Amino acid sequence: MKNSWEKLAKLDRRVIYFLLLLVVVVPIIFPFRLKPKAMPPVEKLFNHIDTIPDDKCLVISVDYTPDTEPELHPMAIALLRHAFAQRKKVGVLCISLLGLGLAQDALATVSEEFNSRAQTNADSIISGRDFVFWGWQTPPLVPILGMGENIAKVFPLDYYGNRTDTLPIMQKIKNYNDVAILVSIAGSAVPFWYITYAQTSFGVKIGAGSTAVQAADFYPYLNSGQVTGMMSGMKGGAEYEQLVEERLGVYGRRRATDAMSSQTAAHIWIMITIIIGNIGYFVMRRRKK
Amino acid sequence: MKIRLPLILVLVTGIVGALPFIIPHGIAQSFDNEFRNSILRIIAAFSLVLGVGSIVRHHTYKIKWKRENWQYSWILLISLVITSIIGLFGGIEGTGALPTSVRGFSFDIQTIFVYMAIPLGATMFAMLSFFMASAAYRAFRARNFEATLLLIAAFIMMLGSVPLSSYIFPRLPGFAEWILTVPNTAAKRGMGFGIALGSLATSLKIILGIERGWLGGTK
Repeated sequence: MKNSWEKLAKLDRRVIYFLLLLVVVVPIIFPFRLKPKAMPPVEKLFNHIDTIPDDKCLVISVDYTPDTEPELHPMAIALLRHAFAQRKKVGVLCISLLGLGLAQDALATVSEEFNSRAQTNADSIISGRDFVFWGWQTPPLVPILGMGENIAKVFPLDYYGNRTDTLPIMQKIKNYNDVAILVSIAGSAVPFWYITYAQTSFGVKIGAGSTAVQAADFYPYLNSGQVTGMMSGMKGGAEYEQLVEERLGVYGRRRATDAMSSQTAAHIWIMITIIIGNIGYFVMRRRKK
Repeated sequence: MKIRLPLILVLVTGIVGALPFIIPHGIAQSFDNEFRNSILRIIAAFSLVLGVGSIVRHHTYKIKWKRENWQYSWILLISLVITSIIGLFGGIEGTGALPTSVRGFSFDIQTIFVYMAIPLGATMFAMLSFFMASAAYRAFRARNFEATLLLIAAFIMMLGSVPLSSYIFPRLPGFAEWILTVPNTAAKRGMGFGIALGSLATSLKIILGIERGWLGGTK
């Protein structure tokens, strides 16, 4: 018996790894969908984007990299679905170079979704008319501050090589005055740079999409109103997907919601291992006494 | 001069970079605009040359002197050359001068990114979950009051960050949100003030040439 308690307190890490692998993989094969309930920061972000006036646009800064793609890419897709469904004008840029391919993928995925259902040219989502992909500019301070003065000057060409000042959408988007909200999605400190420079200097509204581990860092800014709304982690993405589907009736693959079954199982498994470890620890401690 | 010139550069650029935030005058603003839009971009372009140059040199030496795991350096250099050529001449989705599709098989830069860079990056990051699970099992022991408090908070946050919690305990997600909004914010704000004051003091010391560690330890 003594041995069993000791084993419980000192489980081999390979056992933990293997069981974690199982609890992550099995729900991917046999998913169970849990309806997420939107938390206030997500709802605030949704409501703000929902009420963007016609003369203003949504800017999405794709600042994440492939490592955080599973957690953050669904957020970009959900935001684009929301904006395109309501014919809001969208500008996309990247502060991280690796964000370029991810932004291109998100734009291609969502515009294809809408274009496959479109009946007329007016229903379609067209680059240069409904959205503009400005691409990447470095160092970060150049686009973050420069967009407050003249976006076309910071990005003379869009990602596809077109002159930005000739694009129809850019006739109404000159600088941050024409931006209703800028949502920076990142697994790094980029949203803080937007808060420090763009929000403080130009008063532009900032939204954030962050990984779950980083979310706690944003709450002081959320409380002070410097961040208008936020999606945190896979759950934040799932909540936004839920709002888009529930309130706008826009359907599509919900990657964050689908992944919640794996995340739920993994969290429960980690909690079980912690409980097991503590039981073993306390029994052994009592025996030592 | 080797020391003085960098110090003078830091002093001038440090002051020039900070002044536009407090002087709204047109001259200060347009100078700052020019400084950022032209000079900073040129410096950034040089850093690209420096970055690619140093990575090529580092791995070439590694191969030349057969240092540990030198074989991987070949993979890096070959990948660098191939993706650079495809990226430069193949266009974003195979629309460039270089053909990037053979009988329906595409290898344009976007395809390479989506089907190689994303899965590889995501896999590396996903490995963390295994280490975290193992570390949580070993570290989260209720040894004393503080550890118990941490353990309880971790449980609430873990449960609160999955939708299942709202089915079992409807008030738990709200409580998790409260932990983030109130105690977490209070602690973060205190830390934030400390970090900001520390950064300000260090920046001033660097600009004024008091702190010279960044010069590479030169006295």
